Amino acid sequence: MVGAFGVHRLALSLMGALIAGNTQALADDADVLAGRRIAQQGVLAGHVGCAACHLENGAGQPDVGIPRLAGLHLDYLDQQLSYFASGQRQNAVMRPYARMLDARQRQQVAAYYASLAVPRPVEADAPPLPLLEQGQRIVEYGSADADMPSCSQCHGVSGLGVGDFSPALAGQSAAYIAQQLTDWHDGSRRDPKGIFMQAEALRLSHNDIAAVAAYLAALPAPVSPVSVQKDLPR
Amino acid sequence: MKGAVPTVLLATGLIVGGGAAWLATSHHSASRSPVPAEHFMPPPDSAIPKTPFGDEVRRGEHIFREPAIYASAFVGNQLRCSNCHLSAGRLAGASPMWGAYVAYPAYRSKNGHVNSFEERLQGCFRFSMNGKAPKLGDPTLVSLESYAFFLAHGAPTGVDLPGRGFPKLPKPPVAADYQRGAQVYAENCASCHGRDGLGQSSGGRVVFPALWGAQSFNWGAGMGSIKNAAEFIRANMPLGLGGSLSVQQAWDVATYMDSQVRPQDPRFTGDVAATRKKFHNNANSMYGLTVNGGVLGDPAMTPPAGTIPVAASSAAPAPVQSE
Repeated sequence: MVGAFGVHRLALSLMGALIAGNTQALADDADVLAGRRIAQQGVLAGHVGCAACHLENGAGQPDVGIPRLAGLHLDYLDQQLSYFASGQRQNAVMRPYARMLDARQRQQVAAYYASLAVPRPVEADAPPLPLLEQGQRIVEYGSADADMPSCSQCHGVSGLGVGDFSPALAGQSAAYIAQQLTDWHDGSRRDPKGIFMQAEALRLSHNDIAAVAAYLAALPAPVSPVSVQKDLPR
Repeated sequence: MKGAVPTVLLATGLIVGGGAAWLATSHHSASRSPVPAEHFMPPPDSAIPKTPFGDEVRRGEHIFREPAIYASAFVGNQLRCSNCHLSAGRLAGASPMWGAYVAYPAYRSKNGHVNSFEERLQGCFRFSMNGKAPKLGDPTLVSLESYAFFLAHGAPTGVDLPGRGFPKLPKPPVAADYQRGAQVYAENCASCHGRDGLGQSSGGRVVFPALWGAQSFNWGAGMGSIKNAAEFIRANMPLGLGGSLSVQQAWDVATYMDSQVRPQDPRFTGDVAATRKKFHNNANSMYGLTVNGGVLGDPAMTPPAGTIPVAASSAAPAPVQSE
């Protein structure tokens, strides 16, 4: 039932993506540069930096569920790193890396990835249309019989997120989104803001989760924040 | 079409055996939710027929979700119908359209006569949307009426359907308090609606609606009543976590929200005290009362009523010139 309205919605989403300004406070270049060094080299000898998994351009590895970090909100990235470090957000892989960083370094590396242009996604097989339509229904409409608000009510119809409260999901790795929803559904992810997502995820079936993840991943990612237009010294 | 709706309901196992055929049990998971678990279930979007009538229903749904885009000539703020009528008018306990549709025509003390459903919709534009009421029979109203009619498919008329409106709320254990409300707001509401209550946008579009200020509902709107706001908040806020605030917290935060500056009541007589006496003479309205040193509704600090964007108003039929 996407029909003409669906197409229109997609056009609106695109429009939204195009006019999405960089509303977050711009970090200063020194922070961004320091953050890039952390991403490239890590902070402890013998340990890799963030780029080993999330790549230096912040593209992540969508196929295996390693999320894109480029262009996410600075405060959101900073906050999640501190949740990983404290264990409030449980993740066996991220925890040791987050704990290597002090608060200042977390801020710097967050500033770096937040400043990056969103890389062009690698061509992937398009998910089946019925799955996308099911995902679009849940993202835009929620489910009245499950008493579930739509995802768009917090993340926006274009999936661009709002500040540090709701992260941008448009163009994010489908495998990553599905994993987070599954973790909330199973109760294994419980960061302080997780009460919202846990309540939502409990109302989603595994099939719904796959559909939502596929649809959000297919939405156009936000355009580059302004700060990356200038070339930083290597 | 006729058969499609019950089939869908049966297929999802939602029809309750015996009793009223239109009652169904929802999956309200929050046991503390004041919303009745058993209520009418509207047909799914997929049941909208591919007919001229179905097209009208879809137009109505578009307006309902994006009034500033699809009914711009009548909308004066950045709210959407679906900001309060959650799940686009489907959700029980959030003034669902299926509950409203079957409750009209009805006498309303607000204007002292029997209102048709269309006239009721006019009120939404004039007050909640701080805009201009479309004329009776205007395509915008016909579309919205069609959408509401569709959602009410199979519901009995003249019955106060469980899940209609907002769930009734007991009086607060102690008198509601602005200061406590400010605390509840900061802890539970501000991360989405903003510390300043002005909402938040993403990608140039409003995601979290303004609760007060020039882009919110005006002083004539139903949500300006502390009682209505407390009922809505207790059942539905924070979004997805309805029932998590206590009765006291709901009354306190509603008092806080409804003690803020918002657009003028379009029925303003030119005098705040007289307007209070005529339209707000009850304990649920803060209009005309002094809060933080200012009189709520004082034209000096109150945004105007019925503002519509210049582009939208010039797109509307030009008024007849008298000179």
